[in-house]
Order: sequence, then C-alpha cells, then structure tokens
Amino acid sequence: MEVLQEGVGEFTVGDPDELRAFMRTEKRREMVDKVMPEAEAVRRFVKDGDYVSFDFSSFTRGPASLIREIIRQRRRNLWFAAKFTLMESTLLAAGGCLRGIDVGFLGLGSLIGKAVEEGRIKVTEWTNGTLTLRHLAGAMGVPFLPTRNLLATDTLTYSGAKVVEDPFTRRPIALVPAVNPDVGLVHVHQCDVSGNARCFGPGVSPLETAMASKRTIISTEEIITTDDIRKEPSKTTIPYYVVDAVVYAPFGCLPGGAQGVYEMDTEHFLEYMAGSGDEQKMAAYLDKYIYSVASHEEFLEKRVGIAKLMDLKRQATIKEGYH
Amino acid sequence: MTGRDFTESEFMICQCARLMEDGKIVFIGYGMPQIAAILAQRLHAPRMVQVYEFGAIGSLPETPFVRFTMGGPRNCYKSLAWTNMNTIFAQAQLGMVDLGVLGATQIDQFGNINSTMLGADYTHPKKRFPGSGGANEVLTQCWRTVVVIMHERRRFVTKVDFVTSPGYLDGTPGARERAGLPRGTGPWRVVTSKALYGFDEQSKRMSLLGVLRGVSVAEVLKEMEFAPHVAEKVEALEPPTPEELAVLRNEIDPARAVIGKTARS
Repeated sequence: MEVLQEGVGEFTVGDPDELRAFMRTEKRREMVDKVMPEAEAVRRFVKDGDYVSFDFSSFTRGPASLIREIIRQRRRNLWFAAKFTLMESTLLAAGGCLRGIDVGFLGLGSLIGKAVEEGRIKVTEWTNGTLTLRHLAGAMGVPFLPTRNLLATDTLTYSGAKVVEDPFTRRPIALVPAVNPDVGLVHVHQCDVSGNARCFGPGVSPLETAMASKRTIISTEEIITTDDIRKEPSKTTIPYYVVDAVVYAPFGCLPGGAQGVYEMDTEHFLEYMAGSGDEQKMAAYLDKYIYSVASHEEFLEKRVGIAKLMDLKRQATIKEGYH
Repeated sequence: MTGRDFTESEFMICQCARLMEDGKIVFIGYGMPQIAAILAQRLHAPRMVQVYEFGAIGSLPETPFVRFTMGGPRNCYKSLAWTNMNTIFAQAQLGMVDLGVLGATQIDQFGNINSTMLGADYTHPKKRFPGSGGANEVLTQCWRTVVVIMHERRRFVTKVDFVTSPGYLDGTPGARERAGLPRGTGPWRVVTSKALYGFDEQSKRMSLLGVLRGVSVAEVLKEMEFAPHVAEKVEALEPPTPEELAVLRNEIDPARAVIGKTARS
C-alpha cells in the first residue's frame, strides 16, 4: 500500500500482541468487588506520563470528580484525549498536569490557547470524529482504521494520520492509528460493584473508551446489584471485565449534569468561564474547588451544599429514557 | 446595527433556518445552529431530523432553549434514537446527512475554513483556537454545508492560515475528489451578518448571492480581503420577519442568551 502523505504530529502506537497479553493477564476475569475511594483509584491507576481519556462531556455525564482527583494528586506529564472537551483540558493544564493534548476540541477559555501559543503544552491535531475512531480501533485491537475525514487539510498535516492509496478502490484514504489510553475515565448512571455499567442517553464513546483503555475507572451515580443487571442485560453499556475500579460518586459530573438525575450547575460553569482567561483567577478556582477540599464528598458538602444539590436535582424533571 | 429592530445574530439565525428544508437530515453544531434548527422546525420544517455529533437523532428540543447542555435532556428531548459519535459520523460518511451547519474563525475564497490558529507558523501560533471539533467531519461528509460567520474583513481572507476543514481546496476542478473526499460534497452557503454567499459552479469561488435589504454590495465587498464572484442579480435578503422574531424571542430564547438584545429592547 503506497503511503501518499504522513502527518507530523506526535503520537505513540502500541503492539497489538502486547496489548492482548496485557488484557489476558491484567484484566480480572473474576467478578470481584472493585469499589474503592477516588483517591485510591487515582493513586493506583493514574501514573505520571500516562495517556488519559474520558467520556462524555463537561456538561453532560463527564467524570468531573475523577478529573479533580487527578489534579488534587498533582499528576504530571499526562497526555490528554480532548475528543469532546470544554473544561477538562483547561483544568488539567492549570493544575500543571499536562504535557500534551490530542485535539478534537482543545477546550474553552483563553488560558489553554495561551499555553499552546507559548509552547508549554504540545498538541497533535485530530478531529472529534477521528479521535473517537482511534478509540474504536483501540477497542477492536487493530492498529488503525480508515476514514475519509481529515483528507486535504492542515489538520491532517499536523496529525498522526497517514494517507494511502486504498488497495480496493485505488482512491486516497486516511488511516488513523489506534489509541489505547493508559487510563479511561467514564462516569455512568448505574453499575454493580464489579463494574457492569449502564449509561443512559446519548454519549461520545463510553464503551470504546472503556474497552480501549488499559485501565478503566468507572465513577457512578448509583451502585446496583448484579441481579438487577441480569434482569435487563440490554441496558448494560460496559461489561465488568474491562473495568478496573468502581468509584461511588453521586453528583460526580458537577458542575455538569447527569441526564435524568440532576441538571448542570450553570452558575458554577460561569464562575469557571470568568476565570478561564486569567491565571490568577484560575489558580483561585482550583484552590477553592480542588486543593482546599480533600475529596468529592467534601467538595459536595463544603463547596456545593445541600440547597444547591437539591435545586439541581429538582430541575431534572425530564426522566424519559434515563432509567 | 443601531436603528434596526433585530440583532445580527437574529438575522444570521433566520437566514440559516430558511436554508433548512423540511424532511432533510441535518447535522446541528453548538449555539446558533441549534436555535436555527428549532426555528426552522417551528415555522416550515416540522419533519426535519436533527442529528448531533454525540449521537442524538431526531430530537425535538424543549423550549426555552438552554445554553451549554447540548447533550442534556432538554435538548435531546423526544429523540428517535440515542447513539454515539462513531455511529453518527459513520452515517454521515455513508451519505445519510443532507446538510451540516458550522461556525468558523476564518474562511477563504474557496470555502476552506479555519478554526485552529492564526499566524504563518503552526509551531508558533499568534492565536490558538479550539480546533476542528466535529467541523472537519461535517464539511467532509455532509452533502451540503452552511458556514455561519460574522462579516468582518479579517475573517474573509484570500487564503486561510490553516485549513481545519476542507472547502474546494485550491479551486481546481475535481480537487476534492482527487484528494479522496466524497464526491458531490462541499460548502454550499455562507451566511453572514450582512450577506449570503454560494459558490460559483465553474471557478468554485465564493459568490455573492444576496445582501441584507438596505445594505449595498460595495459595503459588503469592502469587508472582504478578496473579491468574490458576484451573482448577476444580487438578491435583497429580507430581514427577520415579525413571525420569526416572535418565535425566537418569545418561545426559543426569551433570555436572549444567543440572539442578543437590540438597542430598543
């Protein structure tokens, strides 16, 4: 297959047999209790230099409490998959956690843009769709997948994609390399203690992210029994055996919302936006919501409060489809 | 726009909505396109099917519209299906999505768009923006794409600093197909705060089709770095109608979060 063009962006590609060997030895087949505090999950499974991915968005069903814990534990030199990202990349960058970003959407606020302009954070260009396709390739255990996106753009030039002549149709087609994140973070509506998990509503790629990742941390609004899971198997989004840790995190998406459970905290988001262009304000934001509280529980208790939680829950009046 | 009883955003949203046909499958991006889609569904396109990059298909968003939570319950209300990103972009690649609507930072004479960075050197950008998001997929795969952009000279450039998403490339015949892009796709209309553009069939250059009633062609051309093709008969674009404004202001966005406020309101 003739290579017609190669992107110059930084990325790493793994060996699919090494990946299989990892999945064979490191992913537990026993249905054991994997529930642990967020501090332990992050301590055990997120290391300096890791590639980190998440699902779904900052506003809806995002693993915000896990992102905060990574910042709280001051992980360094992470590479982050920003496939549908608004706040996470900026927060991680402000916390000094990031070395680089795979850009679908870089993030909101001028701070993150400035970090790229000044070369403090490296970027490789992709698109929301091709970065998500890379997760699908990772989840399938194949080294790449073809796509007709990216072609004839500077996005491709600064990505890690290659253009080849398709051996079947003889037309140019782009190949994007698989990504197998070191850690995937997925917030779900419900799961059992071993990680059989349900996400309700649309999403970016909960299953692909959980399957592709070498370690998957699930945070959940609710823990249910395995019997409940077995009663309605068509509701299961993610099977337990790709999950390494389960963190019980009600309101874990805040300031985003979890569909049918609570609405997004717009006031909080606007406070973030007001700080997202100013380093001092962002530092104060991180201090207030992350460093000065020891856990998600303390965040809810001291920084959100019962009245706000009740109000956000009350606003979630649309339940259809989310149970 | 002092003296006018509508905002630039309202005009752009109404133009955008008028381009959305009933019965079509339409890819909706964040912000203005969301509002335009609701408006179109209320006024002339009740059977238009909205699809979103995070997998919602056929939603009938609740109004008043809520900002930010595009993937939340109000916006995804009464959907036909909830899927995911790989599914939606596969369907676009398959040829199922008729129209896409996008914003952009810069656009050039051949409809290439930039939402990534400004400056001559990619490694030292003067200004860095969020990047493609799903824009590259939309401009690559949808049968037709509408680009929504404020009419400012710095945005209408001869050549974009960075091609985030592909227009007609260098304008040579068949350029998109030669690159492997799907046949028969590309930018279709450019909607601005003052004008409406298409693309000339032969030269693939941006072509001025209409100007807002009361605005002169010269005034519009002055706000562009390149000279576009100009249609033989440049149409006068109707400002937002009282009916459109009533739906926008009373039903969809009473807080005026996206449509903005006029001097008189």
